Amino acid sequence: MSSESMIETSILLVEDEENLAHGLEYNLTEEGYKVSLARDGREALKLFDENEFDLIVLDIMLPYFNGFEIAKHIREKHPQMPILMLTARTQVEDRVKGLELGADDYLTKPFHLKELLLRIKGMLKRKSWYQKVVIENPVYKFGNNEINFENLKCTKGKKDFQLTSYEAMIMKYLIENKDKVVTRKELLENVWNMNPDIETRTVDNFIVRLRKHFEDDPSDPKFIVSVRSAGYMFQV
Amino acid sequence: MLRRRHSFAYNLIIFILAQLVWLAVLLLWIYWYVSNNIIFEQVGEKVAPQIVYDAPSVFPFVGGIVLLTGLSVSLVLIFRHLNIQIKLNALYDNFIANVTHELKSPLSSIQLYLETLNSRDVPEEKKKEFYGLMMRDAERLKNLVNSILEIASMDKKKSYRDFEVYKADETIKKIILESAEQFQLNADSIKFSGDAGCDILLDRSSIKTVFDNLVDNSIKYSINPLKITVRFKRNAKKAEIEFSDNGIGIPNDQIKKIFQKFHRIYDKDIPNVKGTGLGLYVVREIIKNHKGKIAAISEGKGKGSIFKIELPIYVAKDKSTKEKKKDLK
Repeated sequence: MSSESMIETSILLVEDEENLAHGLEYNLTEEGYKVSLARDGREALKLFDENEFDLIVLDIMLPYFNGFEIAKHIREKHPQMPILMLTARTQVEDRVKGLELGADDYLTKPFHLKELLLRIKGMLKRKSWYQKVVIENPVYKFGNNEINFENLKCTKGKKDFQLTSYEAMIMKYLIENKDKVVTRKELLENVWNMNPDIETRTVDNFIVRLRKHFEDDPSDPKFIVSVRSAGYMFQV
Repeated sequence: MLRRRHSFAYNLIIFILAQLVWLAVLLLWIYWYVSNNIIFEQVGEKVAPQIVYDAPSVFPFVGGIVLLTGLSVSLVLIFRHLNIQIKLNALYDNFIANVTHELKSPLSSIQLYLETLNSRDVPEEKKKEFYGLMMRDAERLKNLVNSILEIASMDKKKSYRDFEVYKADETIKKIILESAEQFQLNADSIKFSGDAGCDILLDRSSIKTVFDNLVDNSIKYSINPLKITVRFKRNAKKAEIEFSDNGIGIPNDQIKKIFQKFHRIYDKDIPNVKGTGLGLYVVREIIKNHKGKIAAISEGKGKGSIFKIELPIYVAKDKSTKEKKKDLK
């Protein structure tokens, strides 16, 4: 993190509420981030395509293109870009849709300034950890599986598929701690940065998804095994 | 809410009636069948003279057909009203989502500024700016709450009490300039022309709401620098106010729908996604309350919108009129 923070961290803030955007821009700038502000969907896509960013703070209800469409576009071009969705919508479907399209975190309005800043910090920390470990070892093979942690593309035998950034981060964390028991709490702390909205069951759901991706028989896992009343362990 | 309950009771009554009709038909047809077929065939020739005398009566047959027709009509009615109900529910849900958004946005902005002021060492100049922004957000919240309350009183058909006589052009002009100032719109972007030269009976604060909503819409739905033109005209009985802008216009198929309660246009090319779908409904209801008319005209997308408002000219009637003539000059 320290070497990373020497270079100015750049955030794309997509918010069409004039007053809120102004307040957020002020606070993020005060925190030392370089902020680019987009006031609608078109401007957001243009700025994203023309510049390099470290993190996106994204509203959902936007003119021209909504936040979901923007998240999808970002994910296609940049699978690892951290996206924090910021929205007044509280319906569960919106939340699920946002997370499925690749938002890494979700904060509902009105929010607390401190919480927003903490989440942004956490997301950037995770990103830099991930990048560091990926540079050391971008491609990992086990069994008939191959994971490219840079573009999140995987192959299992002849089948190709794409991981989401969270799936990749969990996988990376498990592989980093090969043959060691990783508790759910540990995963929550390191992958989700202990987001209070994420329950331990979410970890289990992700594990189920990862087993479907990589195990020959997901009901009898050979790589990602459960350790009773402790957590999970990656073994080859 | 009241309307929702009312239409539910309506559907329920139609449903119960349909069931009664259906039951009656069933009983009639059983009676008809028993009297005409079973008795006729089983008792046979023995009581032949009586059967010929009693049956077959035309009444149950015709009655059955009438009741069956009633049944199908009722079912059609149920279906229609249920359909309306479902549409209304969808609009209502949409409205709730929009209102939630509209309430939460200024609220989160106020909260953000308060927390910023509380946790950071903000320079004096910035502080002043933040207070100003918070006041604008508070104003926005107030307007939204007012418009929701206004809808509630409109639905209860509560009438306006503050009617007074005003000079049409002067007062409307003044009201529009007040709205423009409120939305921080440059007064140069509004041009007035024509002359109505008559008196009209107005509830000033609700007519202010009308032009607040029209000005707000013009701002929200325009991409180029906004130009609003207001023309005054008069004919024998009405004063006419034509409010036009150079905004994105209204698609043809939406012209009539825009005045419906909760209706909103969802279009990729619209530069604004905010709103409750109440604004133009409120506008139309207020104009109706003034015994006037409003119509929207647009040559299509990208070609601006025109709102034509007609208000009856007020002619003083001797002693019976108590309204004071008020000159705002």
